[in-house]
Amino acid sequence: MSHSPQPDRVKYAFILPAFLLVLTITLFPLIYALVVSFQTIRIVPPIPPRFVGFDNYTEILGSARFWGSIQVTAVIVFISVALQYVLGFALALTLHHNVPGASLYRVSFLLPMFLAPVSVALIARMLFHPVLGPVNEFFTLFGLENLPFLTSPSFAIATLITVEVWQWTPFVVLLMLAGLQGLPSEVFEAARVDNISTWRRFRDLTFPMLLPLSVAVVFIRLIEGFKIIDTVFVLTGGGPGTSTETLTLFAYNEGFKKFNIGMTSALSFLFLIVVILFGTLYLAAAQRMIRRYQ
Amino acid sequence: MKNLLLATALVPIASLANAACAPDYSGVTLTVSTQNGPFIASALKTAADSWEQKTCGTVEIVEFPFSELYPKFLTAMSQQTGDFDVIGFIPAWVPDFAPFLSVMPEEMQQGEDWQDIHPVYRERLMSWGGEIKSATMDGDMHMLNYRADLFEDEANKAAFKEQYGYELAAPVTWDQYYDIAEFFTGSDAVDYGTAEAYRRGGQQFWYFFSHAASYTNNPNTPGAMFFDPETMDAQINNPGWLRALEDYKRGLEFNPPGALNNGSGDVRPLYAGGTVAMNIDWADSGVLGATEGAIAGNVRTAVLPGSTEIWNSETESWDTFDTPVASPFLAFGGWQLAVPGDSENQEAAWSFVAEVTSPEVSGQAIVTANTGVNPYRLSHYENLDNWSAIFTPEEAKSYLGAQRGSLDAENVALDLRLPGFFSYTEVLEIELSKAIAGQVEPQEALDAIAAEWDKLTDEFGRDNQLAAYRAAMGLE
Repeated sequence: MSHSPQPDRVKYAFILPAFLLVLTITLFPLIYALVVSFQTIRIVPPIPPRFVGFDNYTEILGSARFWGSIQVTAVIVFISVALQYVLGFALALTLHHNVPGASLYRVSFLLPMFLAPVSVALIARMLFHPVLGPVNEFFTLFGLENLPFLTSPSFAIATLITVEVWQWTPFVVLLMLAGLQGLPSEVFEAARVDNISTWRRFRDLTFPMLLPLSVAVVFIRLIEGFKIIDTVFVLTGGGPGTSTETLTLFAYNEGFKKFNIGMTSALSFLFLIVVILFGTLYLAAAQRMIRRYQ
Repeated sequence: MKNLLLATALVPIASLANAACAPDYSGVTLTVSTQNGPFIASALKTAADSWEQKTCGTVEIVEFPFSELYPKFLTAMSQQTGDFDVIGFIPAWVPDFAPFLSVMPEEMQQGEDWQDIHPVYRERLMSWGGEIKSATMDGDMHMLNYRADLFEDEANKAAFKEQYGYELAAPVTWDQYYDIAEFFTGSDAVDYGTAEAYRRGGQQFWYFFSHAASYTNNPNTPGAMFFDPETMDAQINNPGWLRALEDYKRGLEFNPPGALNNGSGDVRPLYAGGTVAMNIDWADSGVLGATEGAIAGNVRTAVLPGSTEIWNSETESWDTFDTPVASPFLAFGGWQLAVPGDSENQEAAWSFVAEVTSPEVSGQAIVTANTGVNPYRLSHYENLDNWSAIFTPEEAKSYLGAQRGSLDAENVALDLRLPGFFSYTEVLEIELSKAIAGQVEPQEALDAIAAEWDKLTDEFGRDNQLAAYRAAMGLE
């Protein structure tokens, strides 16, 4: 009795080289960075590598600057993403209902997203200039002259959030609009025939049907938001003190100002853990919400 | 016979061709690297053109963003890649680069051109460990800029004298500086008194150092400004530094609103545009004010203010002087050129460095817009006619006089040059920024900086750091 060749095994043999290649390319830098994170490596001044176990992690976890940067990042990200979602969804709904001049709005709303964050930050720096900026001119009309938009910790955080919202709300608009356009029109027509109010149509139909998309959009913005560096670097440099220093800016300073490679690698892994932690919590909460609406 | 005659005839022709390339570097291509232009890079390009004509060699200028220069140069030199024949960098990096740099040829260290370099650059900033391993191509220091139209106005002079009891003139002490800043902030003549950089990442710490030099660079304890030159203990939390920080913070009252977010790039147009009566800056403000500003013809420059009291870190008390001691601070110290030891074209590379820094080429660079090159040769300060395209005679006299006066000052203060420079200045910037924003008390901020500096010194090796610091301060 002869055995016929097993096509499945041959298939795997063909895939294996590509799989290994991708695995190597993807994993090698991570493994290398992980190894480095357990060493003291300084390029400047050059200090020979030395294995220090978890010392880098312990030092970072004991540093107030690290926890401060997590707090700053979390505040900017959660508030700005929440605002982006609410505003973005509202704008998408408006555009979906073909208000007069919708196509013009559609293009102009999307423009900020196409700008480089550095350019946005430079524009914002001029807009929020405490003496010459138009925002100052506006507040001066109400007797609020020379507000320290970029030099007081709370104002600076609020300014950073405003800039983030301005730049990234279009992303939410774009995706939510695509989602709205993909919804089945029959359901809404039936609702209209049954005389169901606009608010109920939104609450009971539009929102639940777009919930999976909303979860994905917010998740993408959260992950992207945690990487914020350009805007902060240009607008405040992380100051005053470290009151607007985000996690990525902290890592940049360790890596590219102090060339403390071991510490920076450890910081990168802690950053990864923080993002995974927040991401997991968010997805767990989002799943519960989706289940409730189902 | 015919061939012999032909060969004989060709010899002088060949000699003439060689004479056109003197010295002859035909076939040699130099890779010269510095920061992105136009500043510094454009000056190197101009010098490259003349060097190529003289030597028949070729120069390739490779530019990188400033933030990438340090790791690129250090990595290339430490790995002996031979990537660069000439590097343009800042004096603060010399301690880290010195082991990998070649020594300047003996013939370049003699003659008129050598003696023409101001001794502060020639003997102190270009020297490391008793050897000359770099060549200054740009002179840099902090100076005080002020406006002649305001300072020479009779009404202002009378009002100032009535209010403060002495004549309105360029301040020679920091107390006078704040009197003048206060006077103009409260006057109708101009919007604000002065402008300095306070922004974290905006070169703020050099401005702070300029204040601190007056209270801590004690001529009785040479080299003790930043660290104890015997133990390498940080000195930055002593009473001299505290007074400097309180002074520096006090200046915010006389700066335009939002000054906490002003870097050196913001300070220049504030002065050149006529918003402030004075500012502290490198030489750039003067040139900007005279060429593109609203105050053309009224640019005046002076040596930084000094003090009659300087902290003595040995006796731990204030030393008092009869007249104000000027301690002009050589902030940044200017750009330098060096030839890495792994360059395969060292002779040609040093020849190019000689061309860039020659009196003729550098004399043109200092008066050409956007080269970023400021005077560093004695001849640069003496040739006032050279500056007529930029300055009025009064402006040129004051501008060059202040630079020369700063360098000639007996108690001139050198910038910090230490391995791990950025690690030291990073913590300094953070704590300084907190203190001037009022988040922590000045003494608390200085104590935190001192603790971190001591920790860094231990981490990098106290003995190595001490040796480097002593070398930087000329205490070998």
